[in-house]
Amino acid sequence: MNLVYGSPDGNRMRILIVEDERKVAEMVSRGLKAERYAVDVADNGDTGWAMAHTYDYDLVVLDLGLPGMDGAELLRRIRGRNSRIPILILTARDATACKVDSFEAGADDYLTKPFAFAELAVRIKALLRRGAADQSSVIRVGDLEINRLTQQVSRAGQRIELTAKEYALLDYLATHPGRVLSRTMIVEHVWDQSFEGLTNIVDVYVRHLRSKVDDPFPVKLIRTVRGSGYRITDEGAP
Amino acid sequence: MNTRSIRFRLAAWHAVLLTAVFALLGGLLYATVKRYLDDTLLETQARRARQIAGTLLANAPRTGEAYVVREIKALYDPELSDRFIRVTRGDGSVLYVSGPPNDQSFDPSRVPPAGAGHAAEFTRLERLGDGGSVLIAAFREEAAQGGTYLVEVGTSAGPVDRLARHILELLALGIPLVIAVAAAGGYLLARQALKPVEEIAWKAAIITQHNLSERLPVARTGDELERLSSALNLMITRLDEAFGTSKRFVADASHELRTPLTVIQGELENLAADPQLPAELRDRVGSTLEEVERLGKIVQKLFALSRLDAGEAQAEWVRLDLAALVSATADQMLLLAEDRNIKVTREAGEPVHVMGDRARLKQVVVNLIDNAVKYTPPGGTVRLKVHRDSTHGIIEVADTGVGIPPEAVPLVFERFFRVDRERSTGEGGAGLGLAIVKSICAAHGGRVDVESVVGSGSRFSVILPLAAV
Repeated sequence: MNLVYGSPDGNRMRILIVEDERKVAEMVSRGLKAERYAVDVADNGDTGWAMAHTYDYDLVVLDLGLPGMDGAELLRRIRGRNSRIPILILTARDATACKVDSFEAGADDYLTKPFAFAELAVRIKALLRRGAADQSSVIRVGDLEINRLTQQVSRAGQRIELTAKEYALLDYLATHPGRVLSRTMIVEHVWDQSFEGLTNIVDVYVRHLRSKVDDPFPVKLIRTVRGSGYRITDEGAP
Repeated sequence: MNTRSIRFRLAAWHAVLLTAVFALLGGLLYATVKRYLDDTLLETQARRARQIAGTLLANAPRTGEAYVVREIKALYDPELSDRFIRVTRGDGSVLYVSGPPNDQSFDPSRVPPAGAGHAAEFTRLERLGDGGSVLIAAFREEAAQGGTYLVEVGTSAGPVDRLARHILELLALGIPLVIAVAAAGGYLLARQALKPVEEIAWKAAIITQHNLSERLPVARTGDELERLSSALNLMITRLDEAFGTSKRFVADASHELRTPLTVIQGELENLAADPQLPAELRDRVGSTLEEVERLGKIVQKLFALSRLDAGEAQAEWVRLDLAALVSATADQMLLLAEDRNIKVTREAGEPVHVMGDRARLKQVVVNLIDNAVKYTPPGGTVRLKVHRDSTHGIIEVADTGVGIPPEAVPLVFERFFRVDRERSTGEGGAGLGLAIVKSICAAHGGRVDVESVVGSGSRFSVILPLAAV
């Protein structure tokens, strides 16, 4: 068991990870700490339950296959005690029935292994933001401006015409500025799971998007991160 | 009626065999009866001839021929008893011949002479020109005083012939009737006996890898069929176990691979995110990450396939329109084709409704369009068509691509099969796409077919049962 108590910085969000695979738990906790979360790890269901009802967490990342108390049981207990805390299931079980059961038992999100850490981070952020005021209707990345109400895009004052898919792709990238989004995440978000097999669809659409958003301008916003995916940022040189 | 079926052949053999046996028996019966009657009749005539010869003609020289004639008439009255009697002298002259019999069955005057060269006692059948026939027994008597007489006594063969004909008629009528009854009975009996075979065959035909837990009906009759069905059931059990083991292996293996893959992927991502990392190393880490992601995809697909094998697809069945599904899916992939300068045409008429899992059927369309685009050279065309026949909805995805060599056609739906390892590069291609298409179609009670001509293109047809109206 690896206990990390919250930092003196009271604004930090506190996350409990219940995961029996030590290396997965370490990897996730290291990544989340780098994202400036306070992270506790429990390596079995009973410890997880003890910690969940002892401390006040903002979010729980829960594995289903656990020694001691089973993950599904732990999910029901936590939900029974605290109806508002976001719970994200992180598991190797990807049967539809298992997902449905978890959502019915009160899970807020469900991510199957193997996963990209970036995806976990994005989902945790979305869960923690939930309930708070929604994003502004205009997103800006450098001189790029996206109006989410009118779905109009302009850069340096010039209007850019995009197809529906190109817009969805740009919107997704711009919602997470600076963050690397994997091709799998992009496919699942902009298309759906049925397209998961064709990661090159993302490359093709990104290329078309670049030809409109980046090519006419000196600063390139959409960056390729080898092996990981894409991100949009105006930091540094392209 | 199927002439190759066992019950037909059994009944036919049965009938042929019966025909042969009855024909043989009938022939024997006829010959025996005919012979017996002829013999009996002749024996009677011969006895009479001997009588006439012994009592009358032996003494003819003494009593005088006129006395003999008188005595014959008085004692035997041939006309009244429908008998033929003729006494011929040694020189061929006729001493006495009876008159026409009462029943007019023959004309005694037309009975030809016996001719020379006969033994002392002999018999013959004379067929007269007018249709009558006479069975004749003859006896030659050497009289004491040198005279020789030939006594012929006969009777109409008509009654015996009629009886024999009657027997023949009976046999000709009765045998076919008996054979027909026996053949029909044999057919019914065979059908009855083979009925369990029909049931076993019908049941065996619907057992696939998806319902291997089912068993054939076992008729508790203690006969060969019970042994057959029990043996087949044992075979299905072994198949079930073998399939189960291999399915569990794939499911377990892909499940167990997930955690290490997660760790590898996460650690590499952490490494890649380290700003201190030299550019060259970052590139190598990135390249490794790409392969890890690909590995993850393969594991996921294998797991998805093992779940389809387990029949999980029925979980989220809804009624949906194939035409709309294909059209919407194609819209989302258009750029993929345009990017390679490939034209996508669509043909769809009215809605075609089927029952199915939307996400999975969409996956079928995605995989087929992706496949078509991947293997079609720039400038080609991918043609999508949704139509229906009376029972099935059909999605056709045709391309003007490189085609599939005939020997590879039966294999394209196999897991990890690739026509040409060099040809299919690019990410995620593990040769599982078409295997997934096939499994999804099978899970929906349908199938996928392919026709292909090397150099001019392929056409994949997904055939799914229509939803009930």
